[in-house]
Amino acid sequence: MGFIIECISLGKTYKRKGSAFTALSDINLKVSENEALLIRGRSGAGKSTLIHLMSGLIRPTSGKVLFDGIELGNSGNSILSEILLNKTGIIFQNFNLLPAYTVFENIELGILPKKTNSGKYREIINEYLKQFDLEGKEQLLPAELSTGQQQKVAVIRTLVREPSLIFADEPTGSVDDQSASEILEHLMNLKRQKNITLVMATHGNIPDRYADRIIELENGRIKG
Amino acid sequence: MKYLFRELYRHKWRTITGISGYLLASLFLMLVLSLNYSQQNDSVGILRSTGTHFIVYLPSTVSCCRPGCEDPVNGSLIAEGGFAQMLNSDVIETVRATSGVRAAAPYLLYKIHDENLQCDITLGGIDTSNIATKTNVCSADNIIAGTYLSGNMGEVVAEEAFAMAHKLKVGDTLHTFGGKMIVGGIVNSGIKPGKADLYATIDNVRDVLKENLLCISDGFDMNIILVEVADARIQPRVMNDIKKQLSFLAVSSYNCYQPASDVMGIMEGAGTVMTVLIFIFLVIFSAKTQFAGLIERYRELGILKSLGWTNSSLSFSIVLSSVIQSLAGSIAGILLGLLVVFLLGLNGARVLDSFDFIVQPGRIGLLVLLCLAGSVIATIWPVIKLARAEAGDMINSYN
Repeated sequence: MGFIIECISLGKTYKRKGSAFTALSDINLKVSENEALLIRGRSGAGKSTLIHLMSGLIRPTSGKVLFDGIELGNSGNSILSEILLNKTGIIFQNFNLLPAYTVFENIELGILPKKTNSGKYREIINEYLKQFDLEGKEQLLPAELSTGQQQKVAVIRTLVREPSLIFADEPTGSVDDQSASEILEHLMNLKRQKNITLVMATHGNIPDRYADRIIELENGRIKG
Repeated sequence: MKYLFRELYRHKWRTITGISGYLLASLFLMLVLSLNYSQQNDSVGILRSTGTHFIVYLPSTVSCCRPGCEDPVNGSLIAEGGFAQMLNSDVIETVRATSGVRAAAPYLLYKIHDENLQCDITLGGIDTSNIATKTNVCSADNIIAGTYLSGNMGEVVAEEAFAMAHKLKVGDTLHTFGGKMIVGGIVNSGIKPGKADLYATIDNVRDVLKENLLCISDGFDMNIILVEVADARIQPRVMNDIKKQLSFLAVSSYNCYQPASDVMGIMEGAGTVMTVLIFIFLVIFSAKTQFAGLIERYRELGILKSLGWTNSSLSFSIVLSSVIQSLAGSIAGILLGLLVVFLLGLNGARVLDSFDFIVQPGRIGLLVLLCLAGSVIATIWPVIKLARAEAGDMINSYN
């Protein structure tokens, strides 16, 4: 089994107005294909930063991240866009939905750059909306949805793109237990049926059974 | 495209501000260009032909070309008070062929001492149909009494000062230059480099002087070349070119072209500076609007980047959005400009009597192009900022 993600001595320091803050340091981590990795840690432990680094959304200040052997930190924007579009999907902690766009449009924005046939993706979107109990809410704005429903829209936006690796930053942080189970079951089904890899970050509300491996982050370092 | 228009509509006040900027800029640019064009048509048109003349001759120490003719009674070929030799037609052809020369005319200027009138008299033989004669010597426009030269044998026109000094009237007969001359008209030609007391057509003067000027022969029948230049601004260059080609000749000008050339330069420069300033304002204003738009959408663009939207597609949307605003603004500005120019031109509603606004259709295209160029330039910094920013940082910014 190959490694889809490899972090080597990974570190990230934020510098703002003369002060520096080290969010992550010396992270060595390998994620195998079809693995479900759970990154656990308290708020501020560096989970989101690690997810952002592994997905290529930000570049490391030290070390490197290899995605399928490609070093993300040195890759050009077009390669990063290609990976973000076709290989990975990110479910954000705070959903990152566009407030002026409807549910359907928010999901559509995730699939538009793929230039998929619009008839085909409409079908897929509607199918997911049905599965996540959001049928009939396509034309609502995110602000008109509950927090849990917004979370589901963010999940659907990622799932419709059929990525082979999903980064999920607190994917159930804002939903009730039942919705959390639904989301996690969906992700697990995808892992089983489509062999996707899952990297999830949580402060503790994802049960261990959803992970093949768990790592703990503390003060920007892997514990133990 | 759907999302692009959606964004323009969503931020309608910013869009309206952007369009308004282009509207105002294109309106002012249109008025400046129209005024500038009208100035070129009027004042610059006048200045361009101001002082655009000079004379060319061959200075000499010998008064004429006939043995023994040095006796002043026999007369002499002159130019600017000194003696001048005859020139052949090759010289005038060379002058005519010089770039920037609008016209070159032959001139035969001869002076004798008239025993009857007890004074020196200068007689100028001119080519009445040539523009260079008009600007260097005289023309029908200078007639103050009688009629201008018609080409009849023995017909002359007299300079007003000469006529006053000798109490000459239209129709008087002069016995001079070995024959009879009838004063057909009186002219006041002003200060001109080729001024004489009497003027006749050059053929008549050749005929009158054939006894005195044995050197008049085919190809040698003028002693001055009158030159008219196409534009005051190129006069120094034309004079230099002629001096280089015909170094043995004297080239003389009153330098009236100099201030005209300077004024034209200032006027055109002012128009250009005004256009450039408005263009710079347009770019800065538009850049500010586009940049504000980018900052406003910064987080959202970061989200789109995280979804795999490429920098090029996002940059394209920024540029296209700016171009759409500039197109809408410039077209509206041009239409408004046309209306303003029309209203300013109405007799009843004429506000600025001393200014004419003339729309040159070709410049409308230039105006649209300027606005489009401005809109593209304005997006350079936003596009660079977008390309350099990392999606993660953009998402985490809450500006």
